[in-house]
Amino acid sequence: MKNTIRQVFHSPKFVGGFIIFVAILLTMIIYPLFNPGNPLQQVSVGTFARPGTYISLYDATKAESNTLRLPDAEDKRVAASLSDEDRVAMVEYFTAMGIDISELDTSDTEALLQMWDDNYDPSVRPKGMTSAKVNYYKRLNNALQDLKGGDTIIIAEEGEDGALAESKTITTTDYVRTGAVANVKTLPLGTDNFGRDVLKELVSATGTSIMIGMIAGVVATLIGLTFGLLAGYLGGFVDDFIMFITNIFTVIPGFVLLILITYSIGQEQRGAAVVATVIGLTGWTWTARSVRSQVISLRNRDHVNLSKLSGHSLLRIILTDILPYIASYVVMAFILQVSSGILAEAQLSMLGLGPQTTKVPTLGLMMNWAMLYSAHTNGSWWAYFPVILVITLISFSLNLMNTGLDQVFNPTLRD
Amino acid sequence: MKGYRKYFGKKIFWFILTFIAAVILNFILPRLMPADPVASITGKLAGGNTDAKAVAAIYERYQEEFGTNLPMYQQFLKFCKNAIHGNFGLSFSQYPRAVSDIISSAIGWTVALQLPAILVGWLLGNLLGALAAYIRKGFDKVLLPVSLFLSNVPAFGMAVILLVLFAVKWKIAPISGGYAFDMIPHLSWDFVKSVISHYQLPFWSIVLVSIGGQAVGMRSMSIYELNADYVKYARFLGIKDRKIVGYVFRNAMLPQVTGLALSIGTMVGGALVAEIIFSYPGLGSTMYSAVTSADYPLISATTLIITVMVLIVTFLLDIIYGFIDPRVKAAQFE
Amino acid sequence: MGKVMLEVRNLKTKYVTRFHEDVYAVDGVSFAIEEGKSLGIAGESGCGKSTLALSMMGYYFPPLHYMSGDIIIDGQNISGMDPDTVRKTILGSEIAYIPQAAMNALNPTQKIIRFLEDVIHAHDPKKSKKEIREMAEARFAEVGLPLEALDKHAVELSGGMKQRTVIAVSTILNPKVLIADEPSSALDVTSQKLVIKMMRELMEKGHVKSMLFITHELPLLYNVTDDIMVMYAGQIVEKGSAKEMVFDPVHPYSHGLMGSILVPEEGTRGHKLAAIPGAPPNLKRPPDGCRFAERCKYATADCRYTSIPEKPFGDGRMYRCVKSLDELKEVYSHE
Repeated sequence: MKNTIRQVFHSPKFVGGFIIFVAILLTMIIYPLFNPGNPLQQVSVGTFARPGTYISLYDATKAESNTLRLPDAEDKRVAASLSDEDRVAMVEYFTAMGIDISELDTSDTEALLQMWDDNYDPSVRPKGMTSAKVNYYKRLNNALQDLKGGDTIIIAEEGEDGALAESKTITTTDYVRTGAVANVKTLPLGTDNFGRDVLKELVSATGTSIMIGMIAGVVATLIGLTFGLLAGYLGGFVDDFIMFITNIFTVIPGFVLLILITYSIGQEQRGAAVVATVIGLTGWTWTARSVRSQVISLRNRDHVNLSKLSGHSLLRIILTDILPYIASYVVMAFILQVSSGILAEAQLSMLGLGPQTTKVPTLGLMMNWAMLYSAHTNGSWWAYFPVILVITLISFSLNLMNTGLDQVFNPTLRD
Repeated sequence: MKGYRKYFGKKIFWFILTFIAAVILNFILPRLMPADPVASITGKLAGGNTDAKAVAAIYERYQEEFGTNLPMYQQFLKFCKNAIHGNFGLSFSQYPRAVSDIISSAIGWTVALQLPAILVGWLLGNLLGALAAYIRKGFDKVLLPVSLFLSNVPAFGMAVILLVLFAVKWKIAPISGGYAFDMIPHLSWDFVKSVISHYQLPFWSIVLVSIGGQAVGMRSMSIYELNADYVKYARFLGIKDRKIVGYVFRNAMLPQVTGLALSIGTMVGGALVAEIIFSYPGLGSTMYSAVTSADYPLISATTLIITVMVLIVTFLLDIIYGFIDPRVKAAQFE
Repeated sequence: MGKVMLEVRNLKTKYVTRFHEDVYAVDGVSFAIEEGKSLGIAGESGCGKSTLALSMMGYYFPPLHYMSGDIIIDGQNISGMDPDTVRKTILGSEIAYIPQAAMNALNPTQKIIRFLEDVIHAHDPKKSKKEIREMAEARFAEVGLPLEALDKHAVELSGGMKQRTVIAVSTILNPKVLIADEPSSALDVTSQKLVIKMMRELMEKGHVKSMLFITHELPLLYNVTDDIMVMYAGQIVEKGSAKEMVFDPVHPYSHGLMGSILVPEEGTRGHKLAAIPGAPPNLKRPPDGCRFAERCKYATADCRYTSIPEKPFGDGRMYRCVKSLDELKEVYSHE
C-alpha cells in the first residue's frame, strides 16, 4: 500500500494533475478568508464593469493632494483621450494635405501630435474635404489644445442657501495617494451582468461545482460498484440482468436522461445537491462495467476460493478479498466521474436546466448568465473566459491524475 | 457466415431492446416525478395570470393533450401510436406549429453539422494519437499534454473561444445562425456560400474538442499494440518498421470504432450545447428555446429524436465494426 | 567436426530501464553450434536466456542494447553491421526466431498469406505472389497444415494450428540458425511432442541448418538437443553434451537442476526449479564473485569475492566454479 502510493507520487503526470487540483482547492478555501461575504451580492450598478482597481471619485476629491510634476503626464493624458478613430482621422488629414507620412507610427502619440502641431492650419481647406470634416478637425484641434493647456476643474458644493460655492480647484498636477483615499476596491475580474464581483463568484462557483462533481462521483461510483460487484461475483441470472440494464444505459445518451429528469423536477426543487445526484444516477455504467470485468477475473483466484471454503460471508469476501484488488480501478473511475459530473452540470446549466439560480453560483450558471447577457459578443471576456479556464483546468488536472494512475496500474502503457 | 449472422442477430436484438427501453424511459421519466407535469406546465404557462377559470381551462387542455387523465398503460399506448405517426402534438411556444414540423426543420442542420464534425475529429485525433505513440520522444511529450488539455476544454467553451476570436475579434466568420439572417433558404450560390461560412466555426469547435480525446485514446491503444508479441515477431522476421507500424495502426484503429460508438452519446450532448452558442438552427438550439419557454412537447420529442439518432449511429458503427475486424468474427466461434 | 553455423563470442548486452539504470542481462556468453546440431539453453525464468535469444539476432531496439562481443553466422560477423542491413539480409533468412508466445505472435487482423508475402518481400521484393504461394503451400504441407489456413486470419486458427503456422513462417526462408524460445510451453504434452518432432524433421530435411532451444523444462532438452548449456544470472555456468549434462552435472547449480530430472513425476515438474531455495542476484549490480554463491549449499567465503573464469575440461565441456572437479565430486559423494 505504502509502496503503491510512493509509486503513484513518482508519476509526473499524476503529480502534475494533483498539484493543479490542490492549488484550485486551496484557492477555494483561502480566498474567501481575505474576501468574505456573499458571492451573489451585487457590487456594481450596471453590467460588466471592467477588471481593475476602482477609486472612489468622491473620496479622492476629499483626500489630501500633493503636487507632482511628471514629464510624461501631459502626453499620457492626451494619449488616453485620443481615440483610434481620431488617430486615423489625423493621418487622413496629413494625406489630404500631401504630407509624407511614411515614417509615422500612429501609436506614437508624441510624434503624431508634433506632426499635427507642425501641419495643422485651420485656414486651409484641403481639396475635396466636406465642411463637416473641416469642422471635425477644428473641434479635434481645440480639444487637443485644451488638454495641453492644462485646464483646472472646479469643485463646487451646494451651500445652505442653495447657491454653489467653490470648495476646491483641481489642476493637472494634483495627485492623490491611493492609501489616502477611503474607498479603493480592486475587482481583478470585474463584475458580471448582475454587477457581482466575478472573482468572488468564480471562487464560490468552483467550490459548488467541485462539490457537485464529488456528489455525482460518489453516487455513480456507489451504484456502479454495487452493480459491478454483484454482477461479477454472483454471475448467472443476476449478472445477465444487471448487464442488461447497464447495456441499455450505456447506449442511451446520459445527457438526454439528464434533461428529461431535471426538467421534470422543476426549477424550484432543483438544488445543487439534487442536480448532482441526478448526474450521478445517469453516469454509473462505466464503473459497473469495469468493476464487473475485474471481479470476474478475481473470483476464481486461490485466495478467494480459500475464503469461500472457510465459510466467510459474501460481505466479508467482497470487503477483504475483492475490494482491495479493484480499489485502483474504482478510484480511477471515481476521478473520471467527478470530472464528467462537473462538465454535465455546466452543460445542463447552459441549457437552462442547472441548479436553482438564486441560491448558489456554479460554473455552469456563470457561463449561462454570461451567454444570456452576450458577454462574448460585447467584449466582456472576464465574465466567461475565466469560467471556461477553470472548468478546463479542473477536468484537465483530474484526467492527468487518472492517466498517471493508469500508467502505474497498467504497466503495458508505461513509457 | 454463421458467425456473422449470430453477431448481427445479437446486435439487432439489442438495438430493438434498447430502443424500446429508450421510448419507455422517455415516456415514464417525466411522469414518475412527484409533481404533476401538467400542473407544473400550467403553472409556468399561466405565469401571472390569476384568473382561476383561465388557468383551469389551460390545465384541462394539456391534460387532454397528454392524456394524463387516462390510466398509465393507455397513456403509453397513445404516446407510442402518436410517436409512430410522427405526431408529437403542437408546440406551446411556437403555437400552432406542430412539434414534428419544428424538429424536421432542425434535424437536418444537426446531422449535417455533427456527423461530419465528429467523424473528422475522430480521424484527425486517431492520426495524431498514432503519431504520438510512434514518435514518442519530444513530440509525444508536447502533443500528449496538449491533446489532454484540448480534450478537457468543454465543447461550449471551445465554441465561445472560437466565436470570440474569429467572429468578434477578427471578424472573418459570422457570429451566429446557420445562414445570413436576411436570407430565405433557397438553392442559390449565395445561400450555399452563406451556409458554408456559418458552418465553419461550429464545425471546427466540435472537431477540435473531439480530436483531443480520440488522440489520447488512440495513443495508449497504439502503445499497447506496439508492445504486442506480433510486433516483436514481425521485426525479427526482418519486416520493415514502416510495414509493422501499418499493422499496429490498423489493429489499434479498429477498436476505436467501438470507442466512437460508445462515446457518441456523450459527444452529441456536448455538441448540442455548442450549437446554442452559435444559435445554430439545429436540435440543440431547439432544445434550448424549448427549455427556456417551458415547451414540454417539444422537449420530449427532441430528446426522443436525439436518442433514436444516437442509437442508430451506434448500431451502424457496431455493424461496420463487425465487418471490418476479423477478431469479431473469430470471437463468435468461441 | 561439422561446419560452424553460429558462433557467439563474449557477448554482452543490457537493458536500460525507464529510470536509466543498466541491467546486465547477458554478461559475457560464448558458444558455437555446428551444422546439423542442436543446442539447448536451460535456466530459471529471468536468468537471461530469452534475452540471449534476442541478443543473438544482432537487431536491437530499446530497452535492449548491445554492449560488446561477436555474433558470427556461417562465417559472417553480424555484430558490427548497421541495423537495416541486418534486418534485410540476416533476420528471418539467416537466423530465424520462434517466439515464446506463439499464440499472440501473428497479427490477428491479417491473413496468413499476406503476412508471408510481407516476410518474403522484406528480403526479396521481386518475388511474385504466385511464387510465394507455391513456397508457402509446400512448407504448410510439410508441417501438416491445411492449405486453407493460408487464407485465414490468425484469430480464426486454433492454438495448435497457430503454433505450426509460426514454425512454417519462421522457416519459410530456410534459415541457417533457428532459435526457438520455449516454443511449446503453452501446449499440452501431445502437442509439445508434435512440435518438437516437426522441428527435428525440418532440420533433417535440411530446411534448417542448426537449432537453438530455450526452455526451463529440462526433460524436453534431453529428448531434443545434442548439447545443453545451463545459464544463471546472465552467464553460462556449465556446458556439455545432453547425456553428460544429465548424468554427470558438475556445477552445483546444474547439479541441483538435473538432480531431479531422473524422477520425472507428473505434476512436480513445474516446481522442480524452485527446489533450489533463494532468488538470483540483482543484475543491476552483479556480485564480483560467483553469482550463485548466495544460494549454493557448498559455498565458502572464497566464492563470494573471487571472480571465476570458465574452466574447460573433458571433450569440449566447461564449468564455472571455484572448486576443482575432484572437490565437487567429493562433496556430491557425501549426499
